[in-house]
Amino acid sequence: MSCDCEDCEAMMQPYLDGMLSDEELAEAREHLGRCPGCEKRYSFEESLRHFVRVAAGEAMSADLRERLAGLRSAPPPAP
Amino acid sequence: MSEGTSGTTESRRIAEVARDRVRFEDEALALSDQVFRVARRMVGSREEAEDLVQDTYARAFRAWQQYQPGTNLRAWLLRILTNLNIDRGRRVQRAPDSQPLEEGDYFLYNKLESSLPDENPDEERVIQRLSQNAVVESLAEIPHDFRDVIVLVDIGEFSYAEAAQILDIPVGTVMSRLHRGRRLLKQQLAERAVSVE
Repeated sequence: MSCDCEDCEAMMQPYLDGMLSDEELAEAREHLGRCPGCEKRYSFEESLRHFVRVAAGEAMSADLRERLAGLRSAPPPAP
Repeated sequence: MSEGTSGTTESRRIAEVARDRVRFEDEALALSDQVFRVARRMVGSREEAEDLVQDTYARAFRAWQQYQPGTNLRAWLLRILTNLNIDRGRRVQRAPDSQPLEEGDYFLYNKLESSLPDENPDEERVIQRLSQNAVVESLAEIPHDFRDVIVLVDIGEFSYAEAAQILDIPVGTVMSRLHRGRRLLKQQLAERAVSVE
């Protein structure tokens, strides 16, 4: 069996980033097609990236928004 | 149309500059949520992040004429922010290579999966072992060279090229730091996984 999960693990980040060469991409896809374990780990990684993005997001306070607006050179011209 | 006197030409020019400036400020302020989002995860506290963003906008508004219209304003603002952050004493603390070798990319999944009683849990259940706090704390633990790249690319959704421009490092360095940084993040997350109720 040419199924090499170690190679597949090493290709995960560049795969998800769209950075694999055509040849590597074909190799990874071929492996993922018949290895549910790797397939699941790739899919987990995608969910993880989304989770990190959402979890790390913090909204700006109204106070800071006001402070920034106060830095303007002049009020915007009347319409 | 007849040529105005030099006085009206000058006042017209001044009015034009004022309009350009207002437009610049509008555009910059419209990006403030995104700028804050990145700043918040680059520094330790919310207060520090707010001050950093405020200083960034103060400098940007002073230097607005150095911005080339049509280029990437978001990256331009982040470049100012990054430089200010470095000026504040956050110098390079250590070479990235002095970090211990990280675990592989499957490490977190394997660790979380093994903590579940199910034989073959679905991925949804696996990710539920992570909390929002765990993400915030884990990011804070990562050396800033790596963290900055993760924050820009994975949280701020900047491209590699933009991150390279903002941090003034080659694109290849962005990629390698991102690659290793994500692994370091997963290692930190693995330590903070919530236990099964």
